[in-house]
Amino acid sequence: MTTKLRNLGVAVAMATALAAGAVSAETVKVGVIATSSGPFARWGEQFQQAIQVYQKIHGDTVNGTKIEIVYRDDGGPDPARVKQLAEGLILRDRVKFLAGFVFTPNALAVADLVTESKTPTVIFNAATAVVVRKSPYFVRTSHTIPQVAKPIAEWAYANGIKRVVTAVSDYAPGFDAEQTFARQFKAAGGEVLDSIRIPLSATDFSPFFERIGQMKPDALFIFGPGGPPTVGMINTWASRLKPAGIKLLCTAETQEIDLPKIGPAALGVVSAFHYTETVDNPLNKALWKNLTEMFGPKTTPDLASVGAYDGMELIYRAVEKFGPNVTGDQAISLWKGIAFDSPRGPFAIDPVTRDMVENIYLRKVEERDGKLVNVNFQTFPMVKDPWKEWNPE
Amino acid sequence: MSVLSLLTILLDGLAFGMALFVISVGLTITLGLMRVVNLAHGAFAMIGGYAGSVALANGAGFALAILIAALAAGGAGLAAERLLFRPLYSRGDLPQALMTFGLTFVVIATLTILFGTAIRIMPLPPSLAGLVDIGFRAYPAYRLFLIAAGALLALLLWLVIDRTMFGARLRAAVDNPRMCRAIGIDVDAIFATTFAAGCALAGIGAVLGAQLMPLEPYYALRYLVLFLIVVGIGGTGDFRGSLVASLVLGLIDTVGKYFLPGASSYIFFAAVIGLLLWRPRGLVPGPSQ
Repeated sequence: MTTKLRNLGVAVAMATALAAGAVSAETVKVGVIATSSGPFARWGEQFQQAIQVYQKIHGDTVNGTKIEIVYRDDGGPDPARVKQLAEGLILRDRVKFLAGFVFTPNALAVADLVTESKTPTVIFNAATAVVVRKSPYFVRTSHTIPQVAKPIAEWAYANGIKRVVTAVSDYAPGFDAEQTFARQFKAAGGEVLDSIRIPLSATDFSPFFERIGQMKPDALFIFGPGGPPTVGMINTWASRLKPAGIKLLCTAETQEIDLPKIGPAALGVVSAFHYTETVDNPLNKALWKNLTEMFGPKTTPDLASVGAYDGMELIYRAVEKFGPNVTGDQAISLWKGIAFDSPRGPFAIDPVTRDMVENIYLRKVEERDGKLVNVNFQTFPMVKDPWKEWNPE
Repeated sequence: MSVLSLLTILLDGLAFGMALFVISVGLTITLGLMRVVNLAHGAFAMIGGYAGSVALANGAGFALAILIAALAAGGAGLAAERLLFRPLYSRGDLPQALMTFGLTFVVIATLTILFGTAIRIMPLPPSLAGLVDIGFRAYPAYRLFLIAAGALLALLLWLVIDRTMFGARLRAAVDNPRMCRAIGIDVDAIFATTFAAGCALAGIGAVLGAQLMPLEPYYALRYLVLFLIVVGIGGTGDFRGSLVASLVLGLIDTVGKYFLPGASSYIFFAAVIGLLLWRPRGLVPGPSQ
């Protein structure tokens, strides 16, 4: 009896100690700057849902340190506002990490600030190649446009496509895609017949595509900003060029979250991307399952989800190793060369460039169980961003 | 450059022009004919378009979806006319512009809350989704349908406005409402009906044109300039001006995109400026106000 009582007493004491530990545990704040209102609000929503799934799976504490997320809405590409938000997060909210950043100008806007304050910053998207060079405290968990545009050019030439036309939306990422594709395709020995830049305001793509049809290329490479221009381009290809046997090549345009809007026109489109929603690994399955359980059956993970999910992994690992008082230099030194399994497949941060190294998948749009999905048919393993090789510092 | 590809480009230009007409024809009624500064045209179009897409998603046919779009946009227009527009008819242009712009933001926010920011799926019926053999090539059926639908709408408008008693009363009520009231015409009822009809046409246009201008919450702002250009170039007095303006702009835009793709947006706006300099009051100017 006495032993029992004593055991009970010890247990109570231990529980109290644990509880006290939990109460006095320190909190690390993470400031997430993303777009949660306006036409690009889906990005912020996908980030937030993936972060919540990450915290559901891994808990909201690491080694007794609570991870608290502070969200800020930038409303779209707005560098001035983003800089203000970041200053507020660093100075007033005392965040240890910054994260998020949908648009390149928004990420660039905080480069000097995070360098000065030594705030480790995880970029979930902002896919222009140069971004990570702008601060030694930047790392990135998305992709760069050259990183996905080069493999598809390689694949195309190796698979009987010798003559192509490129048609991109008339804005900076479009030029990146156009130039990367042309550079790789010409280097392989292919011929680029014409490079067309389509105004972002265009609604009718028929005349452009009619012109392309006249040149009788083997394939057309497109790049658009998502939304109406992308849907328009793929639909016009399907009605004008597909019947003539001209293949369509692209990158992010056939994301599963967008496929229902494009409809059956997307069947047969070949794309190269770093994340395929249907990729078969346990982490990806867990991500899907939790997303649909928490946010409804129609929720679909996309590049935003996987960028935020892996970004959280980086932050958790830094806090796990260095505790609540982790410094910027500690976090960056840990992240350089780090490698782990992600829902997208294997993932690593390059020790020199601090940019992601990841598989690039070649996929084809198919119909399965009445649903349009991307199906991987070839993998370019652990691809680095080629832009940095082409443009040494 | 063969004759046949030239024919294709002309057909493309005609179809795009008709799409412009179909999508902005409602505005030629509310802004052009009734002279209400209706910057909320795209908002009414979206209300109709979203209603139509919900109907399609629930298994309705394309024709029924168009009818539902017309009823939803027309109903919203009728309510807005009663509650918001009527007190402002005599207040001049600026209050109308501000109110309709504000209304547009309210509709954008409401649709975002209800449906999210993604594009609405608006599948075509199988009969319109495919290609049709037109002698020298296979051509998208949808574009031929747009040309026919635009022509039909223009014919209907001409019949109602120029050839019926209602049309005569409407034109009289716009030109001199006090005199009309004095001779016993119910001006309020005519305005309400006409405004609702203009909004219903906006809803129809949103469904018909959805393949070229996909529906999403920012539709109302994204294409507002396009709507205003069509009515401005056409001349605010007459829907026939809008028809001519749509076709001319559609052809210029299409030919520009085909031959000089890099300069296509300059060509379109250069044409707009040129047409306005040539005919400041529009291609078919109405009676002086």
